[in-house]
Amino acid sequence: MADGMRSDGVEDAGGAAGIRPGTAVRTRPEVVVLRRPDPRNRHCLRELGAGMEEEGVPFRVEDVAADGSAVELAFAAAQVSHLDVGVGVDALGNVCVHHSKLPPGAPALTGTASGARVMGHNAARLVVGIPFKAAGARFRDASAPLDE
Amino acid sequence: MSLVVGVDIGNSTTEACAADVGADGEVTYLSAALGRTTGVKGTVANVPGVVEVVVRALKAAGRDPAGVRAVLVNEATPVISGLAMETITETVITESTMIGHNPDTPGGVGLGVGTTVAFADLPDRAPGDAVICVAGADADFEDVAAGINAAVTRGVRVTGAVVQADDATLIANRLREPVPVVDEVTLVHRVPLGMPAAVEVAEQGRTIRTLSNSYGIATVFGLDPEQTRMIAPVARALVGNRSAVVVRTPSGDVTGRRIPAGILTLIGERTKRSVEVDAGAKEIMETWRRVRPLADADGEPGTHVGGMLARVRDTMADLTAMPRDAVRIQDVLAVDTFVPQRVTGGLAGEFALENAVALAAMVRTSRGPMELLADRLREALGTDVLIGGVEADMALLGALTTPGTAKPMAILDLGGGSTDAAVTDEGADEGAQVRSVHLAGAGDLVTSLIDSELGLDDTDLAEEIKKFPLAKAESFFHIRMEDGTVRFFDEALPAEAFARVVVLTDAGMRPIRTGHGVERIRQVRRSAKQRVFVTNALRALEQVAPGGDIRRIGFVVVLGGAALDFEIPDMIAEAVSEFGIVSGTGNVRGSEGPRNAVATGLVAGHASAHAASTAVRCG
Repeated sequence: MADGMRSDGVEDAGGAAGIRPGTAVRTRPEVVVLRRPDPRNRHCLRELGAGMEEEGVPFRVEDVAADGSAVELAFAAAQVSHLDVGVGVDALGNVCVHHSKLPPGAPALTGTASGARVMGHNAARLVVGIPFKAAGARFRDASAPLDE
Repeated sequence: MSLVVGVDIGNSTTEACAADVGADGEVTYLSAALGRTTGVKGTVANVPGVVEVVVRALKAAGRDPAGVRAVLVNEATPVISGLAMETITETVITESTMIGHNPDTPGGVGLGVGTTVAFADLPDRAPGDAVICVAGADADFEDVAAGINAAVTRGVRVTGAVVQADDATLIANRLREPVPVVDEVTLVHRVPLGMPAAVEVAEQGRTIRTLSNSYGIATVFGLDPEQTRMIAPVARALVGNRSAVVVRTPSGDVTGRRIPAGILTLIGERTKRSVEVDAGAKEIMETWRRVRPLADADGEPGTHVGGMLARVRDTMADLTAMPRDAVRIQDVLAVDTFVPQRVTGGLAGEFALENAVALAAMVRTSRGPMELLADRLREALGTDVLIGGVEADMALLGALTTPGTAKPMAILDLGGGSTDAAVTDEGADEGAQVRSVHLAGAGDLVTSLIDSELGLDDTDLAEEIKKFPLAKAESFFHIRMEDGTVRFFDEALPAEAFARVVVLTDAGMRPIRTGHGVERIRQVRRSAKQRVFVTNALRALEQVAPGGDIRRIGFVVVLGGAALDFEIPDMIAEAVSEFGIVSGTGNVRGSEGPRNAVATGLVAGHASAHAASTAVRCG
């Protein structure tokens, strides 16, 4: 568990981190963004960060070597985030926002690179607890019944 | 023993009560049924609805429809009600004097004063100039920040910024010397350029101090007393905001204007008075009090009120084949309300709460085509159909089956379109004196108030807010109810409900997509019910009570759809408690709750008449 931990508590993100929870260490209260390093998603990442920064929520970005879908990356990211919120970005810039308490296959929001700014806003809003911005993001199935 | 079915055709529901009646007048109640009224109450369109509930009631009782001796129908009289809303104030911003939309995330902190300049023109400004930078959404936040930093390096004093996109924090974070930035200004291209302006952003959790203060604005722009007087409405409009922009234009102003809303004429049996609708509900109801009992009402042609009253009249004339002039408006209820309206001339979609008056009117005839309806029912059911008794008398008879009640008793029937009340004195069944009254304003008006005051523009949602409690989705797995208790879920809640206020309807959870908190929506809902139902309950009881004294009524039984509401009965009980009378929700036959009173009353009335005639024959 302590492997790769630096003195300041920040996990060494030199491409060695896996996407499984437990290999990264819980550190500061931040939204964790896990991404596949790829030139195609660079713009998406900038927009994502801008969205979170505008809302005033701290975040950190880590590159992952292992392959995984945006949803898998987001779920792994949420597990290591002190704020329970993670964002996954795949090679193409598809974005997923996940919460550590949600089932792995049922993320809070999913979207494409073009809606990255709004996804950033919404990842931050999930932390802050204010309603999501509507544009650019596709909602998860909204017809869930009231009954437990 | 004979099997009879009492049927009550109401404005929105049709109810039936099946019973066996013995020769001595003894009644054995068998079953009850409830369905939707088809068509307008008291017209032949009601036949399918009546047939359906009769069949259902008999099925529930396990009886053969062929064995029915008689179907008893109330004297159903058509009721038409209408609603109108008049906005009577308007806020106008001229020459784009201010921006006060209060965005979620403004950037920087403090007050900046300077001349407005477009972002593209920033490089042309001379060192030493104090400027406010105005940028459209086509400029990226990094470019805007870089442009401002470059200008500052040259010695231009950029003291604040006004931007179109949602990126104030992003820009402020990238400035070497942070300045206040107001964002999400939709019509940024209409901000007057080359004018003195001030931008203020308060710290998180605080509100602006300078631009919401008339003397603050006077200090910033060096205004004389006369100019300060002119600018005072701007300061007032900005109170409570975290951010704001004020632009000093030659004759810019924010004004509150009164909109003339037409004249309402109330014609009493003895006197006639006119009142301006924009005088407000209090004045209108005061006028009503002076002319009552109301014989008719008229609205100025070409106004909302005039249109609504004409519509009510036309519908009733069509239904009953009465000449239009013979239709009389029997009651009006005016309620003060407010409507969030987009501010005219605003640059960022600012809303202001404007005053409005909601008006309900009602027509009721005593001449429904009942004989025709009875004929059609006879054909459809193949049994004898008897038109039995006035609705109010029957409702009183039915309500008296509520355990713990006695004469003198009053009923309050709170429906969708009208509020009805009736009172009976201590006399025996046939000799009892019954007084009844029908008032405009009920459930539909409450729905319409909720809809407009919350700015929903969605009647279905307003109806649900009226009927069901609220909660807030605090996480994906729990909601906090309006009373503060928490409810947990195994399945995650939908993302669109996250952090939103939701209505807990029968069919599931419905998010309310407005910025209002639980407390605000609850307050609007309760106040709408107070203004309509409590007002009308007291108005109705006052009119039927002996000598106008509510204290002389012993018991009040609340009936009708609204009696099933989760808070209206409590509100009424509280309002009448000061009169020292017993009030509560009816429980017809000790089992039906506030439902089925008229249907039960029809059977009871039939039974006692039957017993009386038998007794006469025997004697």
